[in-house]
Amino acid sequence: MGAGENARRAGVTFFVVGSYIVRAMKATRRPARKRLAKGADEGVPGGVAQGVEERLLVESAQSDPAKFDALYELHYERVYAFVAGRVRDRASAEDVTSEVFHKALASLPRYEWRGVPFAAWLLKIAANSIIDHAKRAAREFPAPDDARESASDPELRASELRTIEYRAQLFRMVGQLPEVQKQVVYARFVEQRSIREIAQRLGKTEGAVKQLQLRAVQNLRARMEGGHG
Amino acid sequence: MAKRSLAMQLDEVVQAMLVSLRPRPEEAPDRDLASLARVAQVLRELPREEFRTALKSDLQRRASMSEGTAATTAGTGEAQGRAVDYLRPGLTSITPYIIVRGAAQFIEFLNNAFEGVERMRVPTPDGSIMHAEVAIGNGAIEVSDGSEAYPAAAGAIHLYVDVADATYARALRAGATSIYAPTDDHPSGDRWGAVKDQFGNHWYIATPKGWTPGPEGLRSVQPYLHLREAHKMIPFLEAAFGAEAMGVHKSPEGTVLHGTMRIGNATLEIDEAHGEFQPMPCHLHVYVPDTDAVYAQALRAGATSIEPPQDKPYRDRAAGVKDAWGNSWFIATYLGMK
Repeated sequence: MGAGENARRAGVTFFVVGSYIVRAMKATRRPARKRLAKGADEGVPGGVAQGVEERLLVESAQSDPAKFDALYELHYERVYAFVAGRVRDRASAEDVTSEVFHKALASLPRYEWRGVPFAAWLLKIAANSIIDHAKRAAREFPAPDDARESASDPELRASELRTIEYRAQLFRMVGQLPEVQKQVVYARFVEQRSIREIAQRLGKTEGAVKQLQLRAVQNLRARMEGGHG
Repeated sequence: MAKRSLAMQLDEVVQAMLVSLRPRPEEAPDRDLASLARVAQVLRELPREEFRTALKSDLQRRASMSEGTAATTAGTGEAQGRAVDYLRPGLTSITPYIIVRGAAQFIEFLNNAFEGVERMRVPTPDGSIMHAEVAIGNGAIEVSDGSEAYPAAAGAIHLYVDVADATYARALRAGATSIYAPTDDHPSGDRWGAVKDQFGNHWYIATPKGWTPGPEGLRSVQPYLHLREAHKMIPFLEAAFGAEAMGVHKSPEGTVLHGTMRIGNATLEIDEAHGEFQPMPCHLHVYVPDTDAVYAQALRAGATSIEPPQDKPYRDRAAGVKDAWGNSWFIATYLGMK
């Protein structure tokens, strides 16, 4: 039927965007400064083997929606990073991210495998959701032109894909920080607490909290460069 | 104590970031600090841990609901279970499939004019729409951008709404042009108006008056086919789809003035093309209990094949035929999520 035919035609374009993403992912995984960085990080479906594995995940979720979990785990940070970069605030980022995964779950039976990262499909859904979100927001609260401008560009450029991968990877890395450093990062950047509040909560001096904040950020920087912090 | 001072410097940068909406460009930052600041910049958008977990369980609930529904339906008696089973959730037996250049704008129009609710959009990376579903009232319209094999084709659709005049006015504001304003003089006895949208589709907007809803209730969305030799469509639909004529009004000469045909739990309308209402060969999506059987019946009844039955990755067994009037029928059986 019509949808299937369109899908076949779109396959070519899909592939182009897909290979972009793969390249962007590889670029993130292996920064030029340390080419010998350790192999693929978890959750970055760049290689052929991982492509096959992802295909199995997609197909198993198509036959059993409960298995959608695995795809969610794999792509959550990526989708969130992309959305957060294009909307204004945390609430919007959460709304749109939630919408993307719900749409993906509902549309999954119609996703046709083309040997191309599932991520390309998700990001396209995300791009559309962001536009819809911007339109809804504009209807309720007319926004200045510049904000709408940045939200209404559906094209994914290679540079943006690299940025998305970098940020998604950084988000994942936070989970691997030592527990106290992680607590400081969440309290400071997500809850936006003052150093004093965090110091009281953790029973530490303000100087120590600043020191933990520095260590956390240094750790993340080191991990993003392929080292072990 | 260089280390301690770096901690303080970084915190000053972080503090500035957190209080100002736009990051302040650093004045001649030290190289080490600058690269830390870039990491901190990204952390400003770090998602909440609770959100990740909440969304995950939300999705799990949703996924298990779609399974649960199927199981419950199957358990309510075989006949009833089967009657619903072959329909894709959210769709009735007949859904207009509108293939249109500019599907995204078309969906926007459906939203503005008819309070359509986009239920699904499967995009292609080039920005066009592979497939979308828009709910209108208790019915739905499927939408896709055109392709060479399936070119854009406008159709005519009859909408039942609460207040025809209000919907008619909204459709005009959304960019449609009037064919005629709602009137009580329509032969159906309903209050009935007509508009044409920017994409060439006709919309007949009616408030039901003398209608007694059947067991399935009133359908908000019904395809309306204007045909040459419309009377020949009735035996075709009966033979191909096991359709049932629910009321056919003919002129003394035998011309079909209006006919309602039922397939499964939905209806479509036909009449003899006349005046402004000329044939508009269109695409229709029909869910049936057995695609292979209906496909064979349709060919025997005179349709030509577009595509023989096959299992689609979106869990439909689907086939396509074209009738003698040029309409495409997408025949499908939903295979369920299992």
